[in-house]
Amino acid sequence: MLRFIGLFTGIFISLFTLEMLNPVQAHVIVPFTSWLAQISASLILPFDTGVIAYGKVIRDLASGFAVSIEAGCNGVEAAIVLIAAVVAFPATIRQRIAAIAIGFIAIQVMNIARIISLFYLGQWNTEIFTWTHLYLWPVLIMLDVLVIFVMYLRFLAARQGQAS
Amino acid sequence: MSTNVTPGRFIGLVFLLLLPCYGLWYLLAPALVKPALGFAHLLMTHWMPGIVSAVQMDGTQALILTQFGELEGKLVSAQAVGHAIGLAVNTQILSYSIPFYSALMLATPGENKLARYANGIICLYVVLTLSLVCLCLKQLMTNLGHHYTDQGSLLQPSPNLIALLFQLSTLILPVLTPVVLWLWQSKDTPLLKGLLLPLTAKPDQP
Repeated sequence: MLRFIGLFTGIFISLFTLEMLNPVQAHVIVPFTSWLAQISASLILPFDTGVIAYGKVIRDLASGFAVSIEAGCNGVEAAIVLIAAVVAFPATIRQRIAAIAIGFIAIQVMNIARIISLFYLGQWNTEIFTWTHLYLWPVLIMLDVLVIFVMYLRFLAARQGQAS
Repeated sequence: MSTNVTPGRFIGLVFLLLLPCYGLWYLLAPALVKPALGFAHLLMTHWMPGIVSAVQMDGTQALILTQFGELEGKLVSAQAVGHAIGLAVNTQILSYSIPFYSALMLATPGENKLARYANGIICLYVVLTLSLVCLCLKQLMTNLGHHYTDQGSLLQPSPNLIALLFQLSTLILPVLTPVVLWLWQSKDTPLLKGLLLPLTAKPDQP
């Protein structure tokens, strides 16, 4: 267990530091975040035509309210936590790659739900928007990571049971 | 509560328990953060006595009282002008780790729950205090400019390190610390024992 926590911490800090470097931000994180904004807007558009997305920003044309997706709001940190946990846990390379790929998609699905919900909460009530944005959604995203990791552990345990 | 809780039921319980835990935290937030604030005050005033005179509570915010005042747009000694510049830090962006950790622990069956919870809370407060110090450093660096960087203390972190620690303290630690603590403290519970077997099993004897 201590080995797992040590490995997890080392991998996590390395990936997190890498993510914070300016070239990585400019060439990977910001384009990815803009892409997330575009996806979120394209999901909103069939139901609400008064919405536009440019760069990392989604704006409501009628009210002028806009959200900008910043570091910490793009699900990358949550994905880094999952990657570090999966890599640190004993499994085959194939199992790890599958867990990271499926987990990354699951985190981003949840994150897009967060972006869209915050976009509408902000137009409705600024105080609830701030509260949900700062204190509630980070916990829900981390719970999402935990659920994915626990499901992965159950899958590994079932495979282990079949093999023995 | 039954000791055999499935992972699905556990997650459901966590979601349910988050509501009352968040409610209590919202009501008690200023009182809950006071111990961490007290330690942050001691750390900051002893570490940087030339910059910080106090770190104190102001509603749900921490207020860093600096040794500087303002005169005609310039930073001068607080004593010379008779007032001190205060910098606010939102402590709730750190302390929401307390209701999250509480919900995780309450949803986990097992023995010595109270003792485990108390130990976890102590660890959580250590992280909370250090995170608060990181937020204070970031506020001082961005608001005092060269008055902060010119202190020249050997133990003064570089701007890049402060930026990294600030991001880590606000984005990651409030949500990751409760999960890591919970995982460590619950590794022997029926909920996690089977799942974590590859980490605890001894290698086969030849």
